[in-house]
Amino acid sequence: MRDDDNVKIKDVARALREPVRIDASFNERVMRAVRDLPKHSRLSFWRRWSMPRTITVSPLGASLVAASLVVFALVGLWHVSDDIDRAAKPIAKAIFPSKVAPDQHVQFVLVAPDAKKVAVVGDFNGWDASHSAYQAQHRGGGVWSVMAPVPVGHHRYSFVVDDSLWVADPSAPRVVDNDFGMTNSAIVVEEQR
Amino acid sequence: MEAVSDAAIVERVLRGNVEAFGGLVERYRDRYARYALHMLGNREDAEEALQDAFTRAYRSLSRCDDPERFGAWLFRILVNRCRTVGARRGRRAKTFVFDETALLSASEEHPAEQGAWREEIDRALQRLRPEQREAFLLKYVEELGYDEMSRLTGVGVSALKMRVMRACDRLRELLSEVHSA
Repeated sequence: MRDDDNVKIKDVARALREPVRIDASFNERVMRAVRDLPKHSRLSFWRRWSMPRTITVSPLGASLVAASLVVFALVGLWHVSDDIDRAAKPIAKAIFPSKVAPDQHVQFVLVAPDAKKVAVVGDFNGWDASHSAYQAQHRGGGVWSVMAPVPVGHHRYSFVVDDSLWVADPSAPRVVDNDFGMTNSAIVVEEQR
Repeated sequence: MEAVSDAAIVERVLRGNVEAFGGLVERYRDRYARYALHMLGNREDAEEALQDAFTRAYRSLSRCDDPERFGAWLFRILVNRCRTVGARRGRRAKTFVFDETALLSASEEHPAEQGAWREEIDRALQRLRPEQREAFLLKYVEELGYDEMSRLTGVGVSALKMRVMRACDRLRELLSEVHSA
């Protein structure tokens, strides 16, 4: 900065740093515009697991949780000799309930002549390519399809070919900006009357 | 009482609490209005750019990689919106409304002479080329470092230094004319 000048830039900058106040009605205008936009309904899978969060635990709560864990471990040890399948089935059922109400059956079709395996992933199955209900079958001529349950509502989905290649459904509208920066397909499932 | 972090508010909004976004608007409204106002020179355009920046931020919130730095992310959106609004205004060949800037920025305690001096500063600022004004405001008013300015604008550090230097020279020149008049 040249101090020999008549005008000192630091004085100009100081004047420009004075606070500016905008009318509080601005907030309402922004919120009106925001309310007209689609509501964020969920965190992305990645963000849900990676976002830091603060958990507050009271001493009583912590004691109860610790006691529950001990009881759970003892019960687990008691049943350890039982058939593993019998123990695993209820857990699997809890994670992937066979009936998610309300849901509809949607046929997903992809033409992929060179594929060895095709699965459907979407927000309705936790983007899990190994989910058994969403494995497409080869119907001949390179056509793969599966009739799978999808809850009523708006969803994003994609096909996973050979466990590695994500392919948007060529016959469905695209959603360009998903949480992972990839292109997915959009589907609206309506309740059948 | 401890302020709720940006990241906590972003998380609430992403979980579907639209109204929580109001907390971010309240937090950044005045801070960023200053930049928009100095950059665009009038309240109408500044509020348009700022509102646009907030709604775009809301729409793309799931792509905000570091919610703890939501403010910096929003500011990048605002800088781009100011460029767009400024370019559109240039095409409309609209004249700047200097008095609104001065009216909003001048505090009541200032003597009349200081108010007039502030007006001259605003007037001189609006006579800078947009890219010089942007660089000057980011460096001297928002007090950013050149590396951060470069990340924000996509312009190289040496080009930014040149713009700031030219902006300073031009401001001195314009304001010295007022002094000596």
